[in-house]
Amino acid sequence: MPKIIIDGQEIECRPGIPVLQAALEAGMDIPHYCYHPGLSVVASCRLCLMEMKMPHPRTGEMDWAPKLFPACQTPAKDGLEVRFDSDAVRQNQRHVMEFYLLNHPLDCPVCDKAGECYLQDYSEQFGSASSRMIEDKQKNPKKDIGPRTLLYQDRCVLCTRCVRFVDEIAGTGELRVVNRGNLAEIDVFPGVPLDNELQGNVVDVCPVGALLSKDFLFKQRVWLLRSTKSVSPTDSRGQTIFIDHNEEGVHRIRPRYNEKVNEWWISDEARFGWKYIQRPDRLSTPCVRIENELRPERWEAIPDILRASFAEAAKGNDGAAVGVVLSPMMACEEAWLLTRFIRQLAPEATIALGYVPVVGEDRTFPKGFVIKAEKCPNRRGIETILEHAAGNTTDFAGFLARAIEGAFKAAYVVGGYPDEWVTDRRITDALAKTGFLVLQDLFPSALDGMAAVQMPAASWTEREGTFMNCDGLIQPFERALLPLEGLKPDGQFLFELAGYEGLYRAGRVREMMAGELPPFADVFTPMETPKHAH
Amino acid sequence: MPYERVLMKNVGVSNSTSLDVYRAGGGYDGAAQALKATPQEIVELVKKANLRGRGGAGFPAGVKWGFLPPDREITYLCVNADESEPPTFCNRVLIENDPHMLLEGILIAGFATRTTIAYIYIRGEFVEQFHILQKAIDEAYAAGYFGKNILGTGYDLDCYIHRGAGAYVCGEETGLIESLEGKRGWPRIKPPFPAVEGAFHKPTVVNNVETLACLPHIMTRGLDWWLSVGVENSYGPKMYCISGPVNRPGCYEGPLGVTCRELIYGEDFGGGMRGGEKVKAILPGGLSMGALRGDVFPKNTGDVDPTQDVDELDCRLDFDDVRRYGLMGLGTAAAVVVPESADIRDVLVNVARFYALESCGQCTQCREGTSWMYKIAQRIQSGAGRILDLDLIEEVTHNMGMMPGLSICGLPDGAAWPLRMLVQKFRKEFEQRIAEQSPDATAQRARDVNPAVYELPLVEGRATSYGGGTFHVPQTR
Repeated sequence: MPKIIIDGQEIECRPGIPVLQAALEAGMDIPHYCYHPGLSVVASCRLCLMEMKMPHPRTGEMDWAPKLFPACQTPAKDGLEVRFDSDAVRQNQRHVMEFYLLNHPLDCPVCDKAGECYLQDYSEQFGSASSRMIEDKQKNPKKDIGPRTLLYQDRCVLCTRCVRFVDEIAGTGELRVVNRGNLAEIDVFPGVPLDNELQGNVVDVCPVGALLSKDFLFKQRVWLLRSTKSVSPTDSRGQTIFIDHNEEGVHRIRPRYNEKVNEWWISDEARFGWKYIQRPDRLSTPCVRIENELRPERWEAIPDILRASFAEAAKGNDGAAVGVVLSPMMACEEAWLLTRFIRQLAPEATIALGYVPVVGEDRTFPKGFVIKAEKCPNRRGIETILEHAAGNTTDFAGFLARAIEGAFKAAYVVGGYPDEWVTDRRITDALAKTGFLVLQDLFPSALDGMAAVQMPAASWTEREGTFMNCDGLIQPFERALLPLEGLKPDGQFLFELAGYEGLYRAGRVREMMAGELPPFADVFTPMETPKHAH
Repeated sequence: MPYERVLMKNVGVSNSTSLDVYRAGGGYDGAAQALKATPQEIVELVKKANLRGRGGAGFPAGVKWGFLPPDREITYLCVNADESEPPTFCNRVLIENDPHMLLEGILIAGFATRTTIAYIYIRGEFVEQFHILQKAIDEAYAAGYFGKNILGTGYDLDCYIHRGAGAYVCGEETGLIESLEGKRGWPRIKPPFPAVEGAFHKPTVVNNVETLACLPHIMTRGLDWWLSVGVENSYGPKMYCISGPVNRPGCYEGPLGVTCRELIYGEDFGGGMRGGEKVKAILPGGLSMGALRGDVFPKNTGDVDPTQDVDELDCRLDFDDVRRYGLMGLGTAAAVVVPESADIRDVLVNVARFYALESCGQCTQCREGTSWMYKIAQRIQSGAGRILDLDLIEEVTHNMGMMPGLSICGLPDGAAWPLRMLVQKFRKEFEQRIAEQSPDATAQRARDVNPAVYELPLVEGRATSYGGGTFHVPQTR
């Protein structure tokens, strides 16, 4: 571990990082725009310049060199001594901020970035309240550069993070700098819009309000939002995210740094693929079939109905006539609780992994970002639970094969997919042969006509638990929203169904699980990013 | 003893671009001699000769070659023929008249640096010069001076011309390398220096045309001759350009250390001012190095103090003397003379305009500062200046590039020095002009000055093209 001295303070830092990153990780607030730990270094914003001790060319004595060095480009080598707390450095920061603000429009009141904008922050710290330029500002155009992104070129500070992102991470290279000097601007090629599967990230890397998401445009002020740590359910990679929400619901999804999975980025489907939770046809009331009609029932009555029906079906066959389908959209805790409930009543019940949606093939990007073809978050988690569940376990095809033979007198089928999943006749045909069918899903589906009990499910924003990603990493996600009116979150319901009392807490359930399933004793939480890094 | 022209000996000679004429004058003898020695011997010789780069910075070429890592496998030689400094055209004269001298220099430098591929990065506007050079390369290949096994020594060297697309900043060595690689010509951050990691991530030497053209003469005429030309620490011949209202504007050769006065009035050089006019100012190193007055500059505000103030035309154009006069360096030794009748405000605008157009837009100080300076200069020119603006120019140019390390390349320094020196050295004239303005001119016109020059059409989608990248000249009202 190299040790460097910043402003007289000795700091131990990770090997191979630049001084700027070391300072940020030590909690210092060093202004910077162009530097991003996930992108190459260009050192063009000139804001992180620092003083450095170097041997004097003649005497060889170590002393402050009479020039400034970019902290983002200087590797933190052992024994290096630098300072930011000096007149030359502070003056440079003030001067650079003056240059930045010369042509920047004063439109913070209508800018989406206001509140999380580093031009605002730094100009408050080093900027001047009035401009010394009395001429007109340079007005660069506002541009529609892609299906999801707007570019307000007049706000741009030309840090070129977006250009480097599309070059290095997405590998698509749609964005470029055109023109020179003060007329330089970010632009796309004629007829080639910014449109790739990672495009949303350019809005995140933009330190100012130049690149804005059309999806979030003029929707909310960022200081009215709360961020909840979550994991994206859109693919099996388990990209960690922040859900930005308030009492009106979710407003946007941002990446959360994760050194083992998605680093600083998320895919567009993770970012924009949450809209289904707002669909008006979401189920919210449990229904029981009475006289061939699904009628609303109180939540409190449901566990007894289920217990009685499953016990009836299990009678005399040790539960061999009972089937359960665990959806890979479920959290590990929920799946474990349901397994536990079934095993208590029906030790020989068949427990199956549900339908695993796969779309296309895995997409790997130049620096190793992967979008998985498997569009569910927890197949590995369900499989792990099935491995440890005694008795019969199978996959979805195996379950359907047995069901179509009429093997099940009662079955509990969990869905919860964002898209319609009952598109195959084999599913309907097989489940039509099942006696007592409990269906737990987000939306009405083709199976509703066969369900004896229809349970509403909660979306992942309304639940808490863990997902195990395709590499076996167990990552917790927290609840962001209150459940829909009238809805009891899956975890709470299954907790009660399994015979426990009180409030469902994922952590508590994990402690109980850990006895059978040791991996769940320890979940993975990614490193926090430094407070002043962006 | 009259000075014997070396670099420009073939200028004016009929058919001077042909290999035959060049060889008749002893051409490629230097290369033949060099190829018999070892690369290390040539590097040592050039180090001893203290051949300082003619492109502007004056860095010793031999030392630059010495930075190449000894265990390298591939070396590239980039010849900087992207001559874009405003009053400078000596490389152009050299290529037009004696391309083989450059090629011989490339051969020697290539051998000394163990280069196998040399790229000549030629300015895009040099169209005829490109064809002349290409023809010369073809001739040299045919005669066995390039290609495999040159002159039977087993040394291979290929030479290609790459044409630039017209950017001042591509004359900066790392900007040149980026452009050569096919990217946007944005200077790179250093370290790594090109000698370690340059073009295509391989060790690279970038030398100016004139620097390389000196090499054959060092080989053939020897070190003693070389050290006898010029002044101490600035040895060798130099091509001077002089433009402005002198009797004979053009490119002239002389030893390093010619004074500004000689350059303007000397019979071998400018031949005096047209109509006997007085010199107001001279920018002797291209624009970027700063400005000198045509008379004595009172350093301390107020009157001339003969004990410490000197006549600035006595400034010797070599690598060291210019610094005594506050210039940043010798630059390209291309002087532009401003006559007494010119308005100093016009000079300021011209200088500021160039850098505002040519700033590459990468570093903040340069991108924003150069265009701000241009706007201020325009306003002063249009008769709406303030005394405050003069202080502002001094301060902002200081913030742009006076301290080393503020920006990636030297362009903002090059923009800051001449603007700052013009304001410092001609402050009285500026103040007088501002005093002559109508009292409310600033208030009235401050908002009108800036221009449509900077106004772009507001568009949805792609930015529209506005005249092929050139600026519109604002219509005066």
